[in-house]
Amino acid sequence: MRMLVLIPAYNEAPSLPQVVANVRQHVPDADILIVDDASCDATASLLPKLGVQWVRLSQRLGTGTAVRTGLRYAASRGYEMVVRIDGDGQHPPEEIHRLMAPLLRGSGDVVIGSRYASGDDVDTPPVRRVIHWTLGRLISLMTRRTVTDPTSGFWAFSEVALHMLVDHHPSGYPEPELLLFLSRNGMRVVEVPVAMRTRMAGRTSLTPHRTWSAMARLLLLLVVVPLRSAVGAGRD
Amino acid sequence: MIDSIDLVTVVAIGTSLFLLALVLELVRRKKLTEEYSFVWIVCALALLGVALGRRLLDKAALAIGIYYPPAALLLVLIFFVFVASLSFSVVVSRQRQQIERLIEEAALLDARLRELDSSRIRTPSVQPVAPPATS
Repeated sequence: MRMLVLIPAYNEAPSLPQVVANVRQHVPDADILIVDDASCDATASLLPKLGVQWVRLSQRLGTGTAVRTGLRYAASRGYEMVVRIDGDGQHPPEEIHRLMAPLLRGSGDVVIGSRYASGDDVDTPPVRRVIHWTLGRLISLMTRRTVTDPTSGFWAFSEVALHMLVDHHPSGYPEPELLLFLSRNGMRVVEVPVAMRTRMAGRTSLTPHRTWSAMARLLLLLVVVPLRSAVGAGRD
Repeated sequence: MIDSIDLVTVVAIGTSLFLLALVLELVRRKKLTEEYSFVWIVCALALLGVALGRRLLDKAALAIGIYYPPAALLLVLIFFVFVASLSFSVVVSRQRQQIERLIEEAALLDARLRELDSSRIRTPSVQPVAPPATS
């Protein structure tokens, strides 16, 4: 099965070499694609030296659009499975096999790695933890399945999901909206417990202003997404 | 002497005619495309219609509890500006999506071009076929 590890990156030059090396070590058969979301650090000059496939967006469009670009790249080249991990080293590549398992068994179309699903203590700031918990409960209610980590960026997509999302993957900070969209379109979403680390270097792009802006957008989407028509490629 | 109501009518007719002429001139100069001019033409014609049909406006204003009819004219004007603004927000949103798509396409084509260039460099060049020996 042809598999692509997709790494959307914005200003992650200090951590990318290590992330790529870890992916190569743990998933040697997978191809690696980095989508550079118009970084303004050394990422652009680093990419050709990493020996991976890469795409560079000329303007910053946000994580969601960077992921959608990567999915379109994967679909156009016949990949059958895509695993998305962050470029900051939060998502340990040794956990990728855990994400792949439900897809290989055929028991899910999309798999999410959840840091909270195991019930172990997680090093997340309390305010963020409360936001994640509240959002998780809300999305669980709306999608009628348990969502413990609604902002996790550690995902695996089957071929069916991949071809649906090339045109419909949300933009911005996409994860909660993506959960609602997949539910609306009858995709089988599976959550698996994974360990996550703190970022290797740099700072998150999620500033307080962007956090509140994303929350406001999400409140609107919680109302609107369930009212949208299904896109027709789901399993309903 | 023109009383205040008549003056309002004159100003409203003048404004709507000016708006109409301005929109047509912008379309003539191709500074405004036909697609986006319609909303303004409708606004200008609606304002003109309301200004010319003042008696109807006065009755409508009284019916909804507005006892100063020019305020109703202002309300109609604000309504059309609101509709125009909303329609342009839709246009801006659509154009943002189109720009995002173009940037994605450009990035994917750039990657494709890079791959083709590198595969061309890797492929050994074809040796020219020697011409047949002539006797």
